[in-house]
Amino acid sequence: MIRARAEKSWVFAVYVPVILLCAACATHLRHAKAAYAEAQEFSRRYQTEQAVAAYKRSLIESGIEVGNNPSAQAFMLKGMAEVNLGLWRDAELSFIKASGLGFEAGEAWASDVSLLGLAISFEELGLGEPALRAYENLLGKSAFKPVRLAAAQKYFDLTLARTLGLGDKEKSRALADLARVIDKLETGDFACGFYHYFHSQVESHRGDYRRSYEEAVTARELGLPSEKILRDNDNQIVFCYDKLAGSLPASERDIFSAAHAAWTKRWGWKDARTPNWKME
Amino acid sequence: MSKKDIESALARGVEILNEFLPLNSTLYFPILYSACIWAVRRVFDYRERIFSWQVWLDPDEVRTKPDEFILHFFTTHEALSRAYADEIAGRDVKALRAAFPALYPVCGLEDAFLKALFKKELDAGDYRKIADEFATRAAKARDDIQPAAENPHFWAALENLGAELAALGIHLLKDEAVEKAVVKAIKKHAGKSAVGG
Repeated sequence: MIRARAEKSWVFAVYVPVILLCAACATHLRHAKAAYAEAQEFSRRYQTEQAVAAYKRSLIESGIEVGNNPSAQAFMLKGMAEVNLGLWRDAELSFIKASGLGFEAGEAWASDVSLLGLAISFEELGLGEPALRAYENLLGKSAFKPVRLAAAQKYFDLTLARTLGLGDKEKSRALADLARVIDKLETGDFACGFYHYFHSQVESHRGDYRRSYEEAVTARELGLPSEKILRDNDNQIVFCYDKLAGSLPASERDIFSAAHAAWTKRWGWKDARTPNWKME
Repeated sequence: MSKKDIESALARGVEILNEFLPLNSTLYFPILYSACIWAVRRVFDYRERIFSWQVWLDPDEVRTKPDEFILHFFTTHEALSRAYADEIAGRDVKALRAAFPALYPVCGLEDAFLKALFKKELDAGDYRKIADEFATRAAKARDDIQPAAENPHFWAALENLGAELAALGIHLLKDEAVEKAVVKAIKKHAGKSAVGG
């Protein structure tokens, strides 16, 4: 009996902690995944603060997980959370480790994240030309969508800033080139609202307010990556609405205003010019 | 809900901030106001939320706008059109473009933290001061919050305060009333120059 009791306590002493440890490890990975999914859901609903909070929770949980039980999945999750928080260097290291543990795309993702981080550094140091080349390269070849989107934002902003200093003819040509780049991106992924947002911005620079309006409405309908961008896109819609309402002939203006009213009603705006998030 | 209880809870909030950020009274209003708003929504992951504004500050929209968009922004915003009447009348896009990166996040995108950070200037209609000081003050806010942010007791104290405010029924007050109560608590603590000064 004494022996049986001793065996029982041995079982408790060895197996129970092991089981609890495994359960805890599984819990961290599960929590990291749950927080990441929650963050994506918040992002989809433009709740940026909540999304950032959830990405941070996912990063903390996956960080504990890779310490306790390093796996390709845990490192990949950690890297994804880091990408969404703009921690490019950390993300690169996580993807390299994920790759070493069998995650096939990890190496390519790490290389893309590294190039993006480098391009951002170039831009911050005032080296616009190499930064632009790196963004362009990522736009064309990266299979990792978050990097492609971040590169697109940087590429369009930097290129548009350059057009401001050009003469009319050169500017018109540069903007036409940009429109072609965005057309190509849209062809590859027409359902990406962020690309339509860029398209709207480019058309606004070209003075084509009708096209800019249509692209901004499409962007809003397809979804945008953050509340800040959604708000900027809403401001673009109001700007184009004012421009078009002021320039269209009366008959066309009425049709346009009726269509605009239908959209704004669907989006829950206070009136034709006031999005629901506006305080004033 | 007792107004007095809320006022004394807010006064304790100011004391907490004074303890953790003794030389940075400019941050009292944005932090305390944000804590109240989150208490209303009954969410208490304050650490992540306060840090999220740093990410929120990072540029991710297309910042380069055409002249017409910038003119439209300044002319359609009532207070801005008054403050920049001369530049608008003279179509001085160069001057408006210089002020745009500071004023658009505050007045165009209505960033809650930045609006609270520049509350004093917004109330006074001093938009030129926002344009002049935006970069320095936003960067300073980012740096100043760091020492307190590294102290777990700071977050625990804020979380307790939020829970107390929620229990006292702060959700029954409108945002404007919460704003007034926070301003009152801060002014009471440190004199009229404390808010945003």
